[in-house]
Amino acid sequence: MLLLARGPKAKAWLWLCQLRPPVPPMTPGNEALHMRPRRHFSWQGPPQGPRLRTRLLITALFGAGLGGAWLAARAEKEQRRQQQRTEALRQAAVGQGDFSLLDHQGLTRCKADFRGQWVLMYFGFTHCPDICPDELEKLVQVVQQLEAKPGLPPVQPIFITVDPERDDVAAMARYVREFHPRLLGLTGSVEQVAQASRSYRVYYSAGPKDEDQDYIVDHSIAIYLLNPDGLFTDYYGRGRSAEQIADSVQQHMAAFRSVL
Amino acid sequence: MAAPSRKERQACWGARDEYWRCLDAHAEDAALCRRLRSSFEASCPQQWIKYFDKRRDYLKFKEKFEAGQFQPSESTTNS
Repeated sequence: MLLLARGPKAKAWLWLCQLRPPVPPMTPGNEALHMRPRRHFSWQGPPQGPRLRTRLLITALFGAGLGGAWLAARAEKEQRRQQQRTEALRQAAVGQGDFSLLDHQGLTRCKADFRGQWVLMYFGFTHCPDICPDELEKLVQVVQQLEAKPGLPPVQPIFITVDPERDDVAAMARYVREFHPRLLGLTGSVEQVAQASRSYRVYYSAGPKDEDQDYIVDHSIAIYLLNPDGLFTDYYGRGRSAEQIADSVQQHMAAFRSVL
Repeated sequence: MAAPSRKERQACWGARDEYWRCLDAHAEDAALCRRLRSSFEASCPQQWIKYFDKRRDYLKFKEKFEAGQFQPSESTTNS
Protein backbone atom coordinates (compact mmCIF):
# COMPACT_ATOMS: atom_id res chain seq x y z
CA MET A 1 0.00 0.00 0.00
CA LEU A 2 2.83 2.36 0.81
CA LEU A 3 4.51 1.76 -2.53
CA LEU A 4 1.31 2.43 -4.33
CA ALA A 5 0.86 5.66 -2.48
CA ARG A 6 4.35 6.92 -3.16
CA GLY A 7 4.02 6.91 -6.94
CA PRO A 8 1.21 9.42 -7.46
CA LYS A 9 2.41 11.49 -4.53
CA ALA A 10 5.84 12.06 -6.11
CA LYS A 11 4.29 12.81 -9.46
CA ALA A 12 1.97 15.31 -7.89
CA TRP A 13 4.89 17.23 -6.37
CA LEU A 14 6.64 17.37 -9.70
CA TRP A 15 3.54 18.70 -11.35
CA LEU A 16 3.10 21.24 -8.61
CA CYS A 17 6.66 22.62 -9.16
CA GLN A 18 6.07 22.99 -12.88
CA LEU A 19 2.74 24.69 -12.51
CA ARG A 20 3.61 27.03 -9.68
CA PRO A 21 2.98 30.55 -11.03
CA PRO A 22 5.57 33.26 -10.75
CA VAL A 23 5.41 35.04 -7.41
CA PRO A 24 3.55 38.29 -7.88
CA PRO A 25 5.29 41.44 -6.84
CA MET A 26 4.80 42.46 -3.24
CA THR A 27 2.08 45.05 -2.93
CA PRO A 28 1.22 46.96 0.17
CA GLY A 29 -2.33 46.71 1.37
CA ASN A 30 -4.42 44.00 2.92
CA GLU A 31 -6.30 43.18 -0.23
CA ALA A 32 -3.29 41.91 -2.12
CA LEU A 33 -2.08 39.92 0.88
CA HIS A 34 -5.45 38.27 1.16
CA MET A 35 -5.69 37.59 -2.51
CA ARG A 36 -2.40 35.74 -2.70
CA PRO A 37 -3.12 32.79 -0.52
CA ARG A 38 -6.46 32.37 -2.19
CA ARG A 39 -4.87 32.14 -5.61
CA HIS A 40 -2.21 29.94 -4.22
CA PHE A 41 -4.87 27.52 -2.99
CA SER A 42 -6.70 27.46 -6.25
CA TRP A 43 -3.47 26.45 -7.97
CA GLN A 44 -2.72 23.78 -5.44
CA GLY A 45 -6.23 22.35 -5.82
CA PRO A 46 -5.83 19.94 -8.72
CA PRO A 47 -2.66 18.21 -7.47
CA GLN A 48 -4.33 17.56 -4.11
CA GLY A 49 -7.01 15.45 -5.87
CA PRO A 50 -5.04 12.25 -6.32
CA ARG A 51 -3.52 12.59 -2.85
CA LEU A 52 -6.91 12.83 -1.25
CA ARG A 53 -8.16 9.93 -3.31
CA THR A 54 -5.20 7.83 -2.20
CA ARG A 55 -5.80 8.64 1.41
CA LEU A 56 -9.45 7.81 1.05
CA LEU A 57 -8.51 4.56 -0.64
CA ILE A 58 -6.12 3.62 2.15
CA THR A 59 -8.67 4.49 4.78
CA ALA A 60 -11.34 2.52 2.97
CA LEU A 61 -9.09 -0.52 2.57
CA PHE A 62 -8.07 -0.33 6.20
CA GLY A 63 -11.68 0.01 7.27
CA ALA A 64 -12.73 -2.88 5.08
CA GLY A 65 -9.97 -4.98 6.63
CA LEU A 66 -11.12 -4.11 10.12
CA GLY A 67 -14.73 -4.76 9.21
CA GLY A 68 -13.85 -8.07 7.63
CA ALA A 69 -11.94 -9.15 10.72
CA TRP A 70 -14.84 -8.13 12.92
CA LEU A 71 -17.30 -10.05 10.75
CA ALA A 72 -15.10 -13.13 10.81
CA ALA A 73 -14.81 -12.95 14.60
CA ARG A 74 -18.53 -12.54 14.89
CA ALA A 75 -19.24 -15.48 12.58
CA GLU A 76 -16.88 -17.64 14.60
CA LYS A 77 -18.56 -16.62 17.83
CA GLU A 78 -21.98 -17.28 16.34
CA GLN A 79 -20.84 -20.71 15.18
CA ARG A 80 -19.53 -21.51 18.65
CA ARG A 81 -22.80 -20.40 20.19
CA GLN A 82 -24.75 -22.51 17.71
CA GLN A 83 -22.65 -25.54 18.63
CA GLN A 84 -23.30 -24.97 22.32
CA ARG A 85 -26.99 -24.57 21.64
CA THR A 86 -27.12 -27.76 19.61
CA GLU A 87 -25.34 -29.60 22.40
CA ALA A 88 -27.79 -28.27 24.98
CA LEU A 89 -30.72 -29.18 22.73
CA ARG A 90 -29.33 -32.65 22.20
CA GLN A 91 -29.11 -33.21 25.94
CA ALA A 92 -32.60 -31.81 26.45
CA ALA A 93 -34.02 -33.90 23.59
CA VAL A 94 -32.93 -37.07 25.30
CA GLY A 95 -33.68 -36.25 28.92
CA GLN A 96 -36.55 -33.78 28.83
CA GLY A 97 -40.22 -34.72 28.83
CA ASP A 98 -39.71 -38.43 29.20
CA PHE A 99 -42.56 -40.67 30.28
CA SER A 100 -43.46 -44.31 30.62
CA LEU A 101 -47.17 -45.00 30.08
CA LEU A 102 -49.54 -47.62 28.67
CA ASP A 103 -51.22 -47.00 25.34
CA HIS A 104 -54.88 -47.85 24.76
CA GLN A 105 -53.88 -51.33 23.65
CA GLY A 106 -51.94 -52.00 26.82
CA LEU A 107 -48.43 -51.57 25.38
CA THR A 108 -45.78 -49.68 27.33
CA ARG A 109 -44.78 -46.47 25.57
CA CYS A 110 -42.03 -44.02 26.37
CA LYS A 111 -40.95 -40.85 24.64
CA ALA A 112 -38.13 -42.55 22.76
CA ASP A 113 -40.74 -44.68 20.92
CA PHE A 114 -41.83 -41.56 19.07
CA ARG A 115 -38.40 -40.55 17.87
CA GLY A 116 -38.48 -39.61 14.20
CA GLN A 117 -42.12 -38.55 14.39
CA TRP A 118 -43.78 -35.22 14.89
CA VAL A 119 -46.08 -35.49 17.89
CA LEU A 120 -49.08 -33.39 18.90
CA MET A 121 -49.97 -34.07 22.50
CA TYR A 122 -52.92 -33.12 24.67
CA PHE A 123 -53.59 -33.79 28.35
CA GLY A 124 -57.20 -34.28 29.51
CA PHE A 125 -59.68 -36.88 30.81
CA THR A 126 -62.48 -38.89 29.25
CA HIS A 127 -65.23 -37.60 31.60
CA CYS A 128 -64.42 -34.05 30.53
CA PRO A 129 -67.62 -32.10 29.79
CA ASP A 130 -66.62 -29.85 26.91
CA ILE A 131 -63.09 -28.51 26.71
CA CYS A 132 -61.21 -31.79 26.19
CA PRO A 133 -63.49 -33.09 23.43
CA ASP A 134 -63.29 -29.66 21.76
CA GLU A 135 -59.52 -29.55 21.98
CA LEU A 136 -59.15 -33.16 20.80
CA GLU A 137 -61.46 -32.42 17.90
CA LYS A 138 -59.24 -29.46 17.03
CA LEU A 139 -56.10 -31.56 17.35
CA VAL A 140 -57.59 -34.13 14.98
CA GLN A 141 -58.48 -31.38 12.51
CA VAL A 142 -54.87 -30.20 12.57
CA VAL A 143 -53.67 -33.74 11.86
CA GLN A 144 -56.17 -34.11 9.01
CA GLN A 145 -55.21 -30.75 7.50
CA LEU A 146 -51.55 -31.72 7.58
CA GLU A 147 -52.31 -35.20 6.19
CA ALA A 148 -54.05 -33.56 3.25
CA LYS A 149 -50.90 -31.65 2.27
CA PRO A 150 -48.57 -33.72 0.13
CA GLY A 151 -44.93 -34.07 1.10
CA LEU A 152 -45.35 -33.43 4.81
CA PRO A 153 -44.19 -35.97 7.39
CA PRO A 154 -47.00 -37.66 9.34
CA VAL A 155 -47.99 -36.33 12.77
CA GLN A 156 -48.78 -38.64 15.66
CA PRO A 157 -51.68 -37.38 17.80
CA ILE A 158 -51.49 -38.39 21.48
CA PHE A 159 -54.01 -37.99 24.28
CA ILE A 160 -52.65 -38.40 27.82
CA THR A 161 -55.12 -38.74 30.66
CA VAL A 162 -54.80 -36.78 33.90
CA ASP A 163 -57.44 -39.04 35.49
CA PRO A 164 -55.70 -42.42 35.77
CA GLU A 165 -58.18 -43.55 38.45
CA ARG A 166 -61.03 -43.82 35.94
CA ASP A 167 -59.26 -43.80 32.60
CA ASP A 168 -57.86 -47.30 32.34
CA VAL A 169 -56.68 -48.88 29.10
CA ALA A 170 -60.22 -49.97 28.10
CA ALA A 171 -61.74 -46.54 28.83
CA MET A 172 -59.02 -44.86 26.78
CA ALA A 173 -59.54 -47.29 23.88
CA ARG A 174 -63.27 -46.54 23.89
CA TYR A 175 -62.65 -42.82 23.97
CA VAL A 176 -59.87 -42.28 21.43
CA ARG A 177 -61.37 -44.35 18.62
CA GLU A 178 -64.20 -41.84 18.35
CA PHE A 179 -61.78 -39.10 17.37
CA HIS A 180 -59.16 -40.41 14.96
CA PRO A 181 -57.98 -43.90 13.97
CA ARG A 182 -54.39 -42.94 14.81
CA LEU A 183 -55.08 -41.04 18.04
CA LEU A 184 -53.10 -42.79 20.73
CA GLY A 185 -54.46 -42.77 24.28
CA LEU A 186 -51.93 -42.99 27.08
CA THR A 187 -52.62 -43.83 30.71
CA GLY A 188 -50.77 -45.46 33.60
CA SER A 189 -50.49 -45.60 37.34
CA VAL A 190 -51.17 -42.48 39.39
CA GLU A 191 -47.40 -42.02 39.75
CA GLN A 192 -46.66 -42.55 36.07
CA VAL A 193 -49.29 -40.01 35.04
CA ALA A 194 -48.04 -37.55 37.67
CA GLN A 195 -44.50 -37.93 36.36
CA ALA A 196 -45.52 -37.44 32.71
CA SER A 197 -47.60 -34.37 33.56
CA ARG A 198 -44.78 -32.89 35.61
CA SER A 199 -42.43 -33.29 32.64
CA TYR A 200 -44.74 -31.07 30.59
CA ARG A 201 -45.62 -28.68 33.42
CA VAL A 202 -49.25 -29.78 33.24
CA TYR A 203 -51.26 -28.94 36.34
CA TYR A 204 -54.28 -31.04 37.27
CA SER A 205 -56.48 -31.43 40.30
CA ALA A 206 -59.55 -33.64 40.74
CA GLY A 207 -62.62 -31.89 42.14
CA PRO A 208 -64.98 -33.26 44.83
CA LYS A 209 -66.95 -36.45 44.09
CA ASP A 210 -70.74 -36.37 43.90
CA GLU A 211 -73.22 -39.16 44.83
CA ASP A 212 -72.43 -40.95 41.55
CA GLN A 213 -68.71 -40.85 42.44
CA ASP A 214 -68.38 -38.58 39.44
CA TYR A 215 -65.98 -35.65 39.47
CA ILE A 216 -64.40 -33.08 37.19
CA VAL A 217 -60.65 -32.75 36.86
CA ASP A 218 -59.36 -29.24 36.57
CA HIS A 219 -56.26 -29.13 34.39
CA SER A 220 -54.12 -26.89 32.20
CA ILE A 221 -55.14 -26.81 28.57
CA ALA A 222 -52.50 -26.81 25.88
CA ILE A 223 -51.56 -28.80 22.82
CA TYR A 224 -47.85 -29.59 22.74
CA LEU A 225 -45.73 -30.07 19.65
CA LEU A 226 -42.71 -32.37 19.85
CA ASN A 227 -40.27 -32.55 16.96
CA PRO A 228 -38.79 -35.82 15.61
CA ASP A 229 -35.89 -35.49 18.09
CA GLY A 230 -38.47 -35.63 20.85
CA LEU A 231 -37.83 -32.01 21.74
CA PHE A 232 -40.65 -29.84 23.00
CA THR A 233 -41.01 -27.33 20.15
CA ASP A 234 -44.19 -25.31 20.64
CA TYR A 235 -47.51 -25.25 22.44
CA TYR A 236 -50.94 -23.99 21.49
CA GLY A 237 -53.56 -22.67 23.88
CA ARG A 238 -57.34 -22.69 23.50
CA GLY A 239 -57.39 -19.49 21.50
CA ARG A 240 -55.52 -20.96 18.54
CA SER A 241 -57.59 -22.34 15.68
CA ALA A 242 -56.84 -25.60 13.88
CA GLU A 243 -55.65 -23.59 10.85
CA GLN A 244 -53.27 -21.49 12.92
CA ILE A 245 -51.81 -24.58 14.59
CA ALA A 246 -51.43 -26.41 11.27
CA ASP A 247 -49.59 -23.37 9.83
CA SER A 248 -47.29 -23.19 12.81
CA VAL A 249 -46.53 -26.93 12.71
CA GLN A 250 -45.70 -26.62 9.03
CA GLN A 251 -43.29 -23.77 9.73
CA HIS A 252 -41.59 -25.85 12.40
CA MET A 253 -41.35 -28.74 9.96
CA ALA A 254 -39.72 -26.52 7.34
CA ALA A 255 -37.19 -25.15 9.83
CA PHE A 256 -36.41 -28.48 11.48
CA ARG A 257 -32.81 -29.76 11.56
CA SER A 258 -32.16 -32.82 13.68
CA VAL A 259 -29.60 -32.39 16.47
CA LEU A 260 -29.33 -36.11 17.15
CA MET B 1 -69.24 -45.25 35.43
CA ALA B 2 -68.14 -45.05 31.83
CA ALA B 3 -67.54 -41.66 30.27
CA PRO B 4 -70.26 -40.48 27.87
CA SER B 5 -69.74 -41.54 24.26
CA ARG B 6 -69.59 -39.07 21.42
CA LYS B 7 -73.31 -39.57 20.77
CA GLU B 8 -74.17 -39.00 24.43
CA ARG B 9 -71.96 -35.93 24.55
CA GLN B 10 -73.66 -34.45 21.53
CA ALA B 11 -77.12 -35.18 22.92
CA CYS B 12 -76.10 -33.48 26.18
CA TRP B 13 -74.66 -30.42 24.45
CA GLY B 14 -77.76 -30.16 22.25
CA ALA B 15 -80.10 -30.22 25.27
CA ARG B 16 -77.87 -27.69 27.05
CA ASP B 17 -77.90 -25.31 24.08
CA GLU B 18 -81.69 -25.49 23.81
CA TYR B 19 -82.06 -24.78 27.52
CA TRP B 20 -79.60 -21.89 27.31
CA ARG B 21 -81.40 -20.43 24.30
CA CYS B 22 -84.60 -20.52 26.32
CA LEU B 23 -82.90 -18.70 29.20
CA ASP B 24 -81.60 -16.12 26.71
CA ALA B 25 -85.12 -15.62 25.35
CA HIS B 26 -86.72 -15.27 28.79
CA ALA B 27 -84.19 -13.08 30.56
CA GLU B 28 -82.76 -15.95 32.62
CA ASP B 29 -86.16 -16.90 34.07
CA ALA B 30 -85.64 -20.63 34.73
CA ALA B 31 -89.31 -21.12 35.68
CA LEU B 32 -90.28 -20.54 32.04
CA CYS B 33 -87.77 -23.15 30.80
CA ARG B 34 -88.65 -26.02 33.14
CA ARG B 35 -89.36 -28.51 30.36
CA LEU B 36 -86.04 -27.86 28.64
CA ARG B 37 -84.28 -27.94 31.98
CA SER B 38 -85.53 -31.45 32.67
CA SER B 39 -84.52 -32.62 29.20
CA PHE B 40 -81.08 -31.07 29.82
CA GLU B 41 -80.86 -32.91 33.16
CA ALA B 42 -81.95 -36.17 31.54
CA SER B 43 -79.32 -35.90 28.79
CA CYS B 44 -76.21 -35.08 30.83
CA PRO B 45 -74.36 -36.58 33.78
CA GLN B 46 -75.17 -34.74 37.01
CA GLN B 47 -71.59 -33.52 37.35
CA TRP B 48 -71.73 -31.96 33.90
CA ILE B 49 -74.96 -30.15 34.72
CA LYS B 50 -73.29 -28.52 37.72
CA TYR B 51 -70.34 -27.65 35.54
CA PHE B 52 -72.47 -26.20 32.73
CA ASP B 53 -74.57 -24.17 35.20
CA LYS B 54 -71.40 -22.60 36.57
CA ARG B 55 -70.08 -22.14 33.08
CA ARG B 56 -73.24 -20.28 32.05
CA ASP B 57 -72.89 -17.98 35.07
CA TYR B 58 -69.32 -17.33 34.09
CA LEU B 59 -70.14 -16.70 30.43
CA LYS B 60 -72.94 -14.30 31.39
CA PHE B 61 -70.62 -12.47 33.74
CA LYS B 62 -67.97 -12.30 31.05
CA GLU B 63 -70.47 -10.94 28.54
CA LYS B 64 -71.58 -8.26 30.98
CA PHE B 65 -68.04 -7.44 31.97
CA GLU B 66 -66.89 -7.10 28.38
CA ALA B 67 -69.87 -4.91 27.56
CA GLY B 68 -68.79 -2.64 30.44
CA GLN B 69 -72.05 -3.13 32.34
CA PHE B 70 -70.54 -4.93 35.28
CA GLN B 71 -70.74 -3.10 38.59
CA PRO B 72 -68.90 -4.76 41.47
CA SER B 73 -71.16 -3.40 44.24
CA GLU B 74 -74.28 -4.70 42.53
CA SER B 75 -72.85 -8.18 42.18
CA THR B 76 -71.85 -8.27 45.86
CA THR B 77 -75.37 -7.46 47.00
CA ASN B 78 -76.81 -9.99 44.59
CA SER B 79 -74.65 -12.88 45.73
